[in-house]
Amino acid sequence: MSITALGTRPAIRKGASPRASRLADLVARWGFMTPAAVLLVATLAYPIGYTIYISFAALNLGTFTPDEWVGWDNYRTVLEDDRFWDSLWVTFVYLVFALPLQMFLGFAIAFLINAEWKGRGAIRAAFIIPMVVAPVIAGGIWRMLLDPLWGVANYVIGTVGLGPIDWLGDPFWAMFTVILIDTWRWTPFITLMASAALLSLPRDVFEAAAIDGANWWTTLWRVALPLLVPVIAAIFVVRWLGAVKMFDIALAATHGGPGRATSVVNLFIYEEAFRSLKFAESAAMSLIVLVITMILTAIFLRGTRMLEERN
Amino acid sequence: MSTTAISPRAPSSYRKRAALLSQLRIWSGVVTCVLFLLPIAWMILTSLKQQRDIFTTPPTLFFTPTLETYVNYLTNHDLPARMLNTLIVAGGSGLISIVAGSMAGYALARIKLRGATTIGVIILLSRGVPPIALAVPMFLVARAMGLLDHHITLILAYCTFLIPYVMWLMRGFFKALPEELEEAAKIDGCTRFGAFLRIIVPISLPGLLSTLIFSIILAWEELLFALVLTNRAASTVPVVISGIAGDTVNGANWGALTAVGTMTFIPVVIFALLVQKWLIKGLADGATKG
Repeated sequence: MSITALGTRPAIRKGASPRASRLADLVARWGFMTPAAVLLVATLAYPIGYTIYISFAALNLGTFTPDEWVGWDNYRTVLEDDRFWDSLWVTFVYLVFALPLQMFLGFAIAFLINAEWKGRGAIRAAFIIPMVVAPVIAGGIWRMLLDPLWGVANYVIGTVGLGPIDWLGDPFWAMFTVILIDTWRWTPFITLMASAALLSLPRDVFEAAAIDGANWWTTLWRVALPLLVPVIAAIFVVRWLGAVKMFDIALAATHGGPGRATSVVNLFIYEEAFRSLKFAESAAMSLIVLVITMILTAIFLRGTRMLEERN
Repeated sequence: MSTTAISPRAPSSYRKRAALLSQLRIWSGVVTCVLFLLPIAWMILTSLKQQRDIFTTPPTLFFTPTLETYVNYLTNHDLPARMLNTLIVAGGSGLISIVAGSMAGYALARIKLRGATTIGVIILLSRGVPPIALAVPMFLVARAMGLLDHHITLILAYCTFLIPYVMWLMRGFFKALPEELEEAAKIDGCTRFGAFLRIIVPISLPGLLSTLIFSIILAWEELLFALVLTNRAASTVPVVISGIAGDTVNGANWGALTAVGTMTFIPVVIFALLVQKWLIKGLADGATKG
């Protein structure tokens, strides 16, 4: 502590003791965080804690309270359950096809609708519309469109000599249908984000590429994509966080069927918990899913950060 | 690719090709857009049909429109009550989340807090928590406390995904504001909270409003928590729709599905289009700022 510092201090302090004012400052700063923190602890942290607790317990179905500590039994039970593994596999297949497809379509459509003309604003606004159709409605109306008997989809492909396709009754087509509906519902979301990202690309780089005689393909691969990589990664993470929760589209369109062909893990756990009343096993399953999701999300976030820093 | 140097006719043919490509691009965009809107158009069309016009081969485009299903559902079913529930729950959770979330978002953006980065990562990670992992314990706790089928339970449940969402979006928004704003306020003797309330909130109003509307839309269409935590008194419209869509006993009631679907969809779409500029900006910021 230098003499000058000591000399200037009292002027700032103005009577209040430094400890009290520091405390007041701390309260003021954390005060902003408090409402959200309290609510999230009560509605997020506490339930997760409770889930952990019941995942190690046997639940008394008379009182709906845990009454016996069973250790890892619930985990052993669900890990030996082929249906749980099947639902994880179904979720995996859905994610592996739906996410890349939606990313690709999203950016491709964004490129198309970014063409400069007077209708551009209207087209972009129109892409908001599918985005606000509740997923459960989306599942319901697509189920109607794809109905094997009266659906308009089979009629349309019939006019060109195709089909009829048993969209919802065949395991392969049912999965295809779920991915199709999900893609219809979520691609506009990616398109709008991608459209803004494309517009924010610096123009002069492209002009320079054109002057250097780069063709369209080279420009895309060597100029546009490297610039877009961080945005693509960020959009991917946002979409991933939504897709792992997918539940309502599968419920409304196929109800997980035929059999369990489209029973994504959230739907499977829901059925186990609230139809079969296996709460403890469901808790164990949802924690396994939670851990897998967290690990993958952390990997994706790390990847995103690395891509951002590389640029 | 320097054809320009070789032939004098090249520039005009190149320009013609470019113009053609640009036309092609515009029209592909328009066609794609129409394709995406077709299912919605078909929903609205079907909702105006009578039962005998719905089940025809080939599907018909020409029929006498009727509002029968709408009137039926608005008078004979408890749909208006469910809509009111949805409105209460979506509005309530939206309002709580915008207040708590924007304050916390401001703290993350502007106030130096120890561990703020960690908190930010936790919030982002919390968006990956599968809702089913929360629905099971919430059901058990709400049941024990006698809170099942109450609006407040669903409102609190929706806060779990809305607060992190608002925090994240508003954090980006507040970060983009010039810091001189608060400094000026501080010199004028405002407290931190006073500066937030009197300076930051008013200029962020458009952003806050669009985030609020988007939160309300997210709550409006939520299904899982609504299925689990309500059954009659506080149940919402998505629950009704999933009931109609999954009704295998009475077969497909497409008239009901499309009419209820349209009624749920129209108010949301009007709101979304009203704030479309901010909505798109919010999405864009979410993508580019992170």
